[in-house]
Amino acid sequence: MQIFDDYKERADFLTIYVREAHPTDEWQMKSNVKEDVCYAQPRNLSDRLAIANDFTKRYHYPLPFGVDGMNNAANDAYAAWPERLYIIDESGKIAYRGGMGPFHYDPAEVRSWLASRYGEVKHPEAKPAQGDTPKSQNPPTAAPASKS
Amino acid sequence: MKKVLLWMGIGAGALLLIAFIALSVMAGSPRDAVYMVRYALPHMHRGNLKVGDAAPDAKLFALNGSDTFHVCERTSGKPLVLVFGSFT
Repeated sequence: MQIFDDYKERADFLTIYVREAHPTDEWQMKSNVKEDVCYAQPRNLSDRLAIANDFTKRYHYPLPFGVDGMNNAANDAYAAWPERLYIIDESGKIAYRGGMGPFHYDPAEVRSWLASRYGEVKHPEAKPAQGDTPKSQNPPTAAPASKS
Repeated sequence: MKKVLLWMGIGAGALLLIAFIALSVMAGSPRDAVYMVRYALPHMHRGNLKVGDAAPDAKLFALNGSDTFHVCERTSGKPLVLVFGSFT
């Protein structure tokens, strides 16, 4: 979220909601129950849209948002599941390719890329190296977060 | 020969056990390790995209479910940060 606030005038952002990572009928995590984020894997688009809407409403999620179709075209094209980050440059080419989430999901790398191009945005009062976006189970900070 | 096969079996079993313990530690518990293998690994892919490749396009749905747009429509003039994820 902080990255979005810092660079939204310089870069566009788009969150793409893909198939659930820890639905109740697959690999549900204890943290899902604790956080009351319990959904079965959507079997149709309306179910997927309903969960996406729950997410954006619950966290007042400000980033532009798109939902992958049930053919998982975006997910497949970007090998995105369960969570992943990319930057596409102005010419439509991949400028940054993040690692596979959750273990290699690193918003700090996105910040570094943006900072190298547009300059660093400092937050003296903020804790350093938070990465701004969640590695997992912290949706308000950026991504629809798979709780891996 | 029988002894060699026996020791090979024991060795393979030990390796599997070590792998399972390591996966359990990584995933959080033996149950999570089993679920990771069953539900997560089949969907996790490194992908073939590289920096410099043309960004793939894909049709996306707006939250209202009736409007659609394409990823490529959002790439113009500025870099586009894509954030993939889900709720759970």
